[in-house]
Amino acid sequence: MRFHAAAVLAVCLAPAFAIFEDDAYHIDFHHPLLGLPKHDGTFFQKPYAASKASLLYALTDDHAIGVINPKDGSLVWRQVPSLGRNGTGLLRAGENQDTVISALGDHVTAWSGSDGRIVWETGIDGATVEDLEILEQEDGISNAEAKDAVILLSNQSVKRLDGKTGRVKWAYQDTRQSCSGDTPFQISTSPMAIFYISLHKSKLRVTSLSPITGKKLDQYTLSAESDIHSPENILFAGANTAAPLLAWIDKSNKVLKVNIIGTKSVSNFDIPAKGTLERITLRASNRINPLVHFLVEYQTTTGHSAEVYHVDPTKHTIIKAYSLPELGSKGTFTTSTSDANVYFTRITAEEVTVVSSVSHEILGRWPIKTSPALAGAYPIHGVSEVVVKAGTASAVRSAILFSNGQWVLIRNGEVVWERPEFLSSAISAVWAELPEEETLAHELEVEGHQNVLAAYVHRVKRHIRDLEYLPTWLQNIPNRILGNLFGKSLDFTIEEIQHDTFGFHKMVILATTNGRLAALDVGSKGKLLWNINLGSYAPETTTPKPFLKAFRGYVEVKDKGLEGTLYINSTTGEILSSQDISHRSLAVPEGQKLISFDLVDGELKGYIGVEFGSESVWTFTPPAGEKIVGYSVRPTKDPVASIGKVLGDRRVLYKYLNPNLVLVTTALESARTASFYLLDSASGEILHAVSHTDVDVSRPIPSTISENWFSYSLTIDSTSTAPSRGYQLVVAELFESPIPDDRGPLGASSNSSTVQPTVANGDVAKPYVLSQTYHIPEEISHMTVTRTKQGITSRELLVTLPFSNSIVGIPRHVIDPRRPIGRDPTSQEASEGLTKYTPFISFDPKWHLNHKYEVRGVKQVITTESGLESTSLVFAYGFDIFGTRVAPSFAFDILGKGFNKVQMLITVAALFAGVLFVAPLVIYFRNNIPYKTARLRHAGWKKANKFTLDNTIIEPVRG
Amino acid sequence: MTTQPPPPPPWVLDLNSPRASKPKNVNIADPPGYTAAASSKQRSQSSKNAVRKAPSPEEMDTLKMKKAWELAIAPAKQLPMNAIGMYMTGNTLQIFSIFMVFTLFKTPVLAVLNIQRVFAPFETSGTSGRLIAVKAVCVLMNLLMLGLGIWKVNQMGLLPTTRSDWLAWEGERTWSERAVPREWL
Repeated sequence: MRFHAAAVLAVCLAPAFAIFEDDAYHIDFHHPLLGLPKHDGTFFQKPYAASKASLLYALTDDHAIGVINPKDGSLVWRQVPSLGRNGTGLLRAGENQDTVISALGDHVTAWSGSDGRIVWETGIDGATVEDLEILEQEDGISNAEAKDAVILLSNQSVKRLDGKTGRVKWAYQDTRQSCSGDTPFQISTSPMAIFYISLHKSKLRVTSLSPITGKKLDQYTLSAESDIHSPENILFAGANTAAPLLAWIDKSNKVLKVNIIGTKSVSNFDIPAKGTLERITLRASNRINPLVHFLVEYQTTTGHSAEVYHVDPTKHTIIKAYSLPELGSKGTFTTSTSDANVYFTRITAEEVTVVSSVSHEILGRWPIKTSPALAGAYPIHGVSEVVVKAGTASAVRSAILFSNGQWVLIRNGEVVWERPEFLSSAISAVWAELPEEETLAHELEVEGHQNVLAAYVHRVKRHIRDLEYLPTWLQNIPNRILGNLFGKSLDFTIEEIQHDTFGFHKMVILATTNGRLAALDVGSKGKLLWNINLGSYAPETTTPKPFLKAFRGYVEVKDKGLEGTLYINSTTGEILSSQDISHRSLAVPEGQKLISFDLVDGELKGYIGVEFGSESVWTFTPPAGEKIVGYSVRPTKDPVASIGKVLGDRRVLYKYLNPNLVLVTTALESARTASFYLLDSASGEILHAVSHTDVDVSRPIPSTISENWFSYSLTIDSTSTAPSRGYQLVVAELFESPIPDDRGPLGASSNSSTVQPTVANGDVAKPYVLSQTYHIPEEISHMTVTRTKQGITSRELLVTLPFSNSIVGIPRHVIDPRRPIGRDPTSQEASEGLTKYTPFISFDPKWHLNHKYEVRGVKQVITTESGLESTSLVFAYGFDIFGTRVAPSFAFDILGKGFNKVQMLITVAALFAGVLFVAPLVIYFRNNIPYKTARLRHAGWKKANKFTLDNTIIEPVRG
Repeated sequence: MTTQPPPPPPWVLDLNSPRASKPKNVNIADPPGYTAAASSKQRSQSSKNAVRKAPSPEEMDTLKMKKAWELAIAPAKQLPMNAIGMYMTGNTLQIFSIFMVFTLFKTPVLAVLNIQRVFAPFETSGTSGRLIAVKAVCVLMNLLMLGLGIWKVNQMGLLPTTRSDWLAWEGERTWSERAVPREWL
């Protein structure tokens, strides 16, 4: 068909697929996440000394360092360490400094506080950083310039690093034999000395060092009476206070023991015995100036309470000042300082109260306005800033981590922003299917199976029933029109998602490693719809890698650590019992024999039916030594619009369309080879096999398979002597026969079986494989293919680039394996859209789906169809959350943003007004002009008569 | 208007009342090129004098046949011209080529449909037998024109003659087995 060719050509001649400028930030969204913030790494801090506003700095469980603008919750900067960096993450900031210093593993880095640039970085050989402190004061004098950092290393040495350059000023190493078995625990600074605390056989050894020279001043051990065995037993080792504290609890959880570091005396306090204690936390200010008052927080299973203690730094005594009453709900305390005063903020799910450390009088109280984001959650820990004027707290803002994984800023009881930080540990996701669509689908199905008359009656009845929605629909019309003209609000309810005409509002259900399940609306900027804890439905189990499967209206959660399955309502997040589920639709249509396969002991095995106990029908064992790395399967819903490829001369190359294709990736580490086996998973037959040598098998080898083509990417070993090295992308396409207009050995038969091939065909029909390899500039960590409703739109290969933190959509025609090699395409090939093969594909900046976003740590990208054929929805997760929609063949079925509806309406109105104005004129002329001409003619007659009277021959005037 | 209609112009009066015949006894010669209208008597006389022999029915038939043949062959004469035109318009789908192709189809079909009416004047008892051949040739010529049109349409790629044109009616094979990974179940 010429027309096809012309259409293909038009698609190819048009500029390569790109995101339009006016679509960016509208069709896509990005949640730049940090992870759950750690309590000791989160603080409010001015980015530089002269700054008026402070920023919220956080170090998270994922070792990311992030800075949040407390006003709106937007990310100012973040630094996410590359994977594989392990160790205790630490983040410290000195007062009035323009840098923050972090330590992770064997690296200490100073970051510019306002923009996150590296100021200096120091690596430590052979040891990891255990603790990091900023030396606030030296001999009682605060250093105005860059404050130095003191680090404690795992090899029991203490180093002082220059605050400007990161160079080591001095190092102290405890080399004595008696200290060899010590566990370095923490360092603590006071204006006079640096204390190095280590665990020495259930005793605490404190070594005080001179801040200037690093020489040992004193050393003593505190007898802890076998209370302490590991660093976890120590409650608190105070940092940077005038009188640093060391606190722990005795074994029976009855007595709190506090020691002022530098003295040998230990004060004992009784722990109030109410309920079962879950957690005891000591909260003290880590600033140097304020009063040394601290708070001990007791968390029980039912509620929480606290006691406030005062330290007299001159007499070295600790006295209990007052206690805050127990509340029957979960809550937390935060400390904040203002000048020399210390304030404690008590935060529960209901209210925020502020007390001074001096007395238990409440300075301010704000009830928390309920927010859907915080439903059923309680605060875990947080940081606060308090403004106190004339003895009352006038404002307080607290950044609180709630138990549902939301990081929330509450200002005077109002939720200002919330960040769904728990989503950073997303491990699997699925597109949810909504329940209401099903009823319509079901009715249509009923109509499809009836005879014409019955179906017609059924349809009329259905339409009459639908009339009850008419009044509300009519009421909504003005809103809808206005919304259409002036842009919609971003608030969508579940009902609106169900009635979304274009199908852009799809829900994604995400499961995280810490056992949470959440639903996001991809159509409205990834809004969190609900968020539940799976652990509450299945206690005593862990769900480290849940497998999700979406059904109409509910989602099925399976995990190895979970007995049975959980069914969760996809619109509300409520659990459903298995009785509630009406039917389970298997992926297999009727009339087909079901074969299931799985990776068992390094072999891929196929079984008949669902029972796995039975004997396997086929086994794929990779050749000697090779290990199966992974396999890709054609998705269940993979519609193919055309079963053949039309060539330039209008002949057809038939696609090899087998729903059971599986691409198995194997690697042989010793020989540095990676092999790919294309299997027919019904029979276990190998249809195609290819092997690549000099492959760096330690790098990811992503692969995907769709329609009649598959692709994979490799990293060629940098040490090999191969002529080309780097990253390769291989694309292969399968055809039934190499000859056009030929359907291969199966001929025109409409059904086929690979398990029982017919006699005439003999062996299993093997596809004809065409493949091409391209060099790509960057490593690909994951690849997938766009999906549309009917598969008419050309596909796009979506690849995740971990080094540039982006997702790129490679148009299918760029990686067509039929591109002519070494010659220019003939006119027929050109009409197919084929261009000359180039060994190198550079990722066109226009192909980047994430444009200016920096999408970090993407583990997987999932795609689904939208309501429009042209558009496919894309959702990426892993660390950040990113969603967009792509139209590989352009949005041919929807008006773009460039279409000005207002202008069109104005034009129509103006034309209508013009018609109204012109119509009377037209009528006037139509009625009067013949009359006028008649009169004119009449006049002409008269004139002519006048002339003829004179016997002169004059032609009469003819009208 | 209630006024009286104007009196007719003089030339109408002139036309309605022919000029009186020339006075007989005027010796003025007629101006050159002027022929006096002959009287009916004279006219009948002159016609009698110049009487031509009426053609015989056979001659009439031959004449009619000649004319009919001319009509039948006419489409063939246009053929080379049309062919060149078709060749020159190219094979792209454009409004002009579409119009030309349309006329190329329309004219022969209409001509064949009108064939009886066109040859009706030549239809006599003598020619009716021979006219069949003429009509056949006429149809043939029009078919040639039609052929040219079909050739053109084929060149434009509008004829479903290749496998790709019937691809939409070919179905995907159904597979009697369906294999899925275990975790999908």
